[in-house]
Amino acid sequence: MASVHESLYFNPMMTNGVVHANVFGIKDWVTPYKISVLSLLYEMTTSKIALQEKRRLNKLILPLQQGPDLQLGQFLKTVEDCCPQTAFAVKIRLNEMADGELKDMEFFFTTLPNPTFDSEAYKTSVVGLFIRHMLLAYNKLSFSQVYKLYKSLQHYYHMGVPTFVADDSDMDLTSTEVTIGDKMERELDSPLTFCVRNEDPVSRGPLSQKQAEYFLAKQAYLLKNDDNKALRPAKLQEELNNMLKFNPDFAEAHYLNYLNSMRVQDIYISTHSLLHYFDRLILSGSEGKSNGDEGYGRSLRYAALNLASLHCRFGHYQLADLALQEAIRIAQESNDHVCLQHCLSWLYTLEQMKGSDSSVLTEDSVKMAAHFCLPYLASLGIQSLVQQGAVQGKSAHELMDALKDTDILHWKHSLSELIEISLAQTISIWRMYGKSTMAQQQAQLLLNMSSLEPVNFGVTQNNTEAFAVALCHLAELHAEQGLYGGTTEIFKHLKEQFPPHTQHAKLWMLCDLKIQFEKHMNDGKYHLAQPLVPAIRAQNKTEGLYRKAQVLKSLSRTTEAYRILQKLQVHCEKTRCTETIIRVLLSTAELHWESSDFSTGLPLLLQALTLSRKHHLQALASRTLLHLAFTQLMLGVPEQALSVLHEALEPILAHGGIMDKGRALMLAARCQMALVATRPNGREQAAVAIHTLDEAASYFSTLNCKERLRDVRYLQARLHSSLGQTAQRNRCAMLFHLLDRELQTPRAPTDMRL
Amino acid sequence: CLITPNLKMAALCSEFGDLVQIKKQLISVISLCKERGLVHSVKWASELAFALDPLPKDELPPSHLVSEEDVQDLDAFALAKSYFDLKEYDRAAYFLRGCHSKKAYFLYMYSRYLSGEKKKDDETVDSLGPLEKGQVRNEALRELRVELSKKHRAGELDGFTLYLYGVVLRKLDLLKEAVEVFVEATHTLPLHWGSWLELCNLVTNIEMLKSLSLPSCWIKDFFMAHIYTELQMIPGALQKYQSLIEAGFSKSTYIISQIAVAYHNIRDIDQALALFNELREQDPYRIENMDTFSNLLYVKSMKPELSYLAHNLVEIDKYRVETCCVIGNYYSLRSQHEKAALYFQRALKLNPRCLGAWTLMGHEYMEMKNTSAAIQAYRHAIEVNKRDYRAWYGLGQTYEILKMPFYCLYYYRKAHQLRPNDSRMLVALGECYEKLSQQVEAKKCYWRAFSVGDVEKMALLKLAKLQEQLTETDEAAQSYIIYIQEIFSCGEQLEHVEVSTALRYLGQYYFKNKLYDEASLCAQRCCDYNDAREEGKALLRQISQVRDQTETPSGELFVSLSDNNTPIKRVSPLNLSSFTP
Repeated sequence: MASVHESLYFNPMMTNGVVHANVFGIKDWVTPYKISVLSLLYEMTTSKIALQEKRRLNKLILPLQQGPDLQLGQFLKTVEDCCPQTAFAVKIRLNEMADGELKDMEFFFTTLPNPTFDSEAYKTSVVGLFIRHMLLAYNKLSFSQVYKLYKSLQHYYHMGVPTFVADDSDMDLTSTEVTIGDKMERELDSPLTFCVRNEDPVSRGPLSQKQAEYFLAKQAYLLKNDDNKALRPAKLQEELNNMLKFNPDFAEAHYLNYLNSMRVQDIYISTHSLLHYFDRLILSGSEGKSNGDEGYGRSLRYAALNLASLHCRFGHYQLADLALQEAIRIAQESNDHVCLQHCLSWLYTLEQMKGSDSSVLTEDSVKMAAHFCLPYLASLGIQSLVQQGAVQGKSAHELMDALKDTDILHWKHSLSELIEISLAQTISIWRMYGKSTMAQQQAQLLLNMSSLEPVNFGVTQNNTEAFAVALCHLAELHAEQGLYGGTTEIFKHLKEQFPPHTQHAKLWMLCDLKIQFEKHMNDGKYHLAQPLVPAIRAQNKTEGLYRKAQVLKSLSRTTEAYRILQKLQVHCEKTRCTETIIRVLLSTAELHWESSDFSTGLPLLLQALTLSRKHHLQALASRTLLHLAFTQLMLGVPEQALSVLHEALEPILAHGGIMDKGRALMLAARCQMALVATRPNGREQAAVAIHTLDEAASYFSTLNCKERLRDVRYLQARLHSSLGQTAQRNRCAMLFHLLDRELQTPRAPTDMRL
Repeated sequence: CLITPNLKMAALCSEFGDLVQIKKQLISVISLCKERGLVHSVKWASELAFALDPLPKDELPPSHLVSEEDVQDLDAFALAKSYFDLKEYDRAAYFLRGCHSKKAYFLYMYSRYLSGEKKKDDETVDSLGPLEKGQVRNEALRELRVELSKKHRAGELDGFTLYLYGVVLRKLDLLKEAVEVFVEATHTLPLHWGSWLELCNLVTNIEMLKSLSLPSCWIKDFFMAHIYTELQMIPGALQKYQSLIEAGFSKSTYIISQIAVAYHNIRDIDQALALFNELREQDPYRIENMDTFSNLLYVKSMKPELSYLAHNLVEIDKYRVETCCVIGNYYSLRSQHEKAALYFQRALKLNPRCLGAWTLMGHEYMEMKNTSAAIQAYRHAIEVNKRDYRAWYGLGQTYEILKMPFYCLYYYRKAHQLRPNDSRMLVALGECYEKLSQQVEAKKCYWRAFSVGDVEKMALLKLAKLQEQLTETDEAAQSYIIYIQEIFSCGEQLEHVEVSTALRYLGQYYFKNKLYDEASLCAQRCCDYNDAREEGKALLRQISQVRDQTETPSGELFVSLSDNNTPIKRVSPLNLSSFTP
């Protein structure tokens, strides 16, 4: 039994249960806003306006005519900016209608210039066409519709000009004495006009078609470029629900709903909305043929493809794969090469995400995309190839050349998004190679680049992934140089731009954790570093394991650390993660040192050196050289150590982090110390060593790395002692003592660590 | 109205034993509702009252006590009621505005509400733009709510006005408040079926139902039975209805129709058909629920009966949603899908919120291969009721036809979620997984479909074939055996039975496993079926050859081989289970 009240009336205007308001085939509808525009046009044709003002008004007409419906306050303000006199006249005219009777509105429509005869608004001109449309639409309205229009005009007017009625007489006076001057008039009514309720046009309930479209377009743009400026997810959802309640056929709202729920990682609602959108889209395109370029066959293919991308986003690779296969199959069946190309580029992305090698697929994709003139897909493919190449150790110039070539393509087609990605990629590549200055320079370039796209909706800086990557790199670079203040600032900005719930927030979260971890390790506060490990592990499993091993090593739990490092090495060799392999090798060598087993570490170090040289990873290569030099020193060949060290010293001082610099200098000093006894100019050597240690001490003190500082002071004290400089020796000893007391932990044997 | 509290007390005290009392209550509530223009509640109560024995003359409840206020308002009320009956709601409200009696107040508010509803419906035609069409709303609702809530707070509302207040709240989407008010209304006036019915529409799950504190009255049993049906808890509903029948409502057409609908929901077609036939006998001019009846006839492909029903209903009233649905089903059964779709469309014109018609129209478009229109229809159905599993299932089928097995998984899953124990969704899911070469999932689905009671008896066959493909020979054989058992145990002849496939496979299977006796038995059975006869014979020959090689051929087999042309003695199909390992 249906609800008691539902079936009371029979509505003749419904077909398929949908009310077709558009029964008369009218595309344009007369709205109160359109009446305002009409009255503006009327004023412009009838009254005399200064040439300059007229020009400004003429420029205004098109956007007003074709833009979304504005509130009366906004409308009058825009007009007033061009010509206050006309704005006033328009307002008077609207007032006459709104506060008068229905006949006033009817009278207005009869007095409108008829473009068929009037010369000023020629019938085929934009204005003429508009007026004719409006007249036609108005004339087709039924009696009750006219009455309704009048009601809504009254409502519209009183919404826009709330207190206008009271000042009616004054206005009339001024309008008769226009000669008194615009200025006074303006003063008079400006506070009135502008006291429009400045609420968001969205929250006022029903929107017109254009307003709704504008709202959707704006929110979608903001979601893509800077979702902080878009409405909060909950709020947006509310608005969309509202919109869908009023018009369930507004398919785009479902799509925005999908984007919005992606924002909050809600797989249920996003799947639901996506499918709903495509169900609706299929309807709207139903006239088309099922397998051509147009028509609903096309939207079917893209529906499947979108579903694949959705699953990919949520990390359901198997499901994504199935959806993609389906999209590929139907695209193949209907010979849609463009769609196939999109599928192909998703296919290699998926392969890459699953961790398998997809360079062949990618190359194919690039070739095909170039063939079908799809520059976006082509350069996306190239960028993906560059990324793979970088990981596989392709030579730097090839990569840079490829990036440069795509950049030309981007600028040609103004694909600003890809330009950003390309820059971000360059930053990452430079960082990987250990060229911090270049990376920094590129990062600045990206951050200072003004967007190519017209600055819409007040978006100054985008919050795309590229920016997140650049900022993270910048933060790490600052941290390496011990500039923690700068790092904090950057993270503050990142937190604002990419709030924790957003998609790219994971990037800076991991980066932040890594920096904190490094800092605590440098400070020797292992108990503080340890709780960070699970957090890192949650973000990135490999990185987490590596960090765990490091903490265990520092806590002298050697066996456990060794086991983890072995596991990690096997894993990384499988996933071909070269950087981590090298770092693991270095850590393993360090573990061997702990047990004074220096020679066992040597082959590991040599392996690391080969790997890092092969992949052009300069920073890691220098660090490996440091390790090698240290081993040699320990094995009792300081001359060799020193010469090896010299090879690494230059790049480290140029590009390396402050910690590496300090360590390198300290090692150099120790080598020099070892040579003091053997060299004839022993005293000089010792003085040089003291000087080097001073430099190292300055680096360590910027990092506030007290443990190493203590070592430095100890060495200095010994050197001074050997030179017989008692005063200096005592000073160094005192400094050492102070640090020792402060640290409270027993000093690890200096010789055992780098 | 002074009678109301008395009525309430009586209702609360009485039990089913006292049918006379119930009858009295019904008679008084009928006149109360009639005065207030609540036609549907009157109809329901009258139907029930009709099912009970007539009262002797002296037992008839006295006509209502008339209060001072009622006397004052008598003329105005009579005038307004006549306008109200003529659907001149504004006019009725105008003449009632000064009245003080509760009865007049209710009619006053109700006229205003209905006037608003009427205007809303008229407005939709006159809207100014495409986006405005959803924006027309009943302007009276807000004012009504303000006034009613004021009175509600003061505790001045009687059962009927509470009901109206609830309706207003529901229309304003204030569902939580609406439920509270309806519960209150049922407490004040338990006999008004309208409040219960509204409550039925608002209660979405069993937890919510349990949390409501409802008055204990005989009418509550009707409510519970109704809501159990709505929430697809059919066994509970059937039990309730059964106890109602036993309590003395056996003649009630309402209960019979409800039971029939319940049987329809659990797809117990024969029971439902029997009940509907009984219903038609008792109430030959009934149109309500006849669409459900026609669905059943359709499922059973009973053309003449459906045709008779359609013609009969057209004679009664051709402009009814149910009639249109019946005719739609009739045309659909005759494979005239365009006409069927036309009639479903007409049904929707008559009532756009008619859920069944949307889904059925979707089915028709599917038959016509007009997938996009089908999707549209199904989507509309879902919009009206998100819990309509048939629409979800239909969407899934549409995408399956469009060869998008992965895409339709989502829809089938939705349908399965709504009907976890319906094998059809599970089989559909299994087929999709099979197409996606997700055999493990597919096998799970088929097995589950069999476990929940397979309607179409296809799940096992599909499972067996899948296992055959995966060369899980033992499992496949097992599935085939259960399949054959199932087919023969259900007795009736089903279409698309593939016993021969199963037998053929089993024969080969036993042959390979050197179980020659079983193999030959299967092979002989194969010969009963046209499509497998040759293979059966071939297998028999093979068996005899192998047996010749290994041992001396047994006499009886030789006999059966030699007179191949004579029909082999048919063993009862049920005996087949004897050779299961």
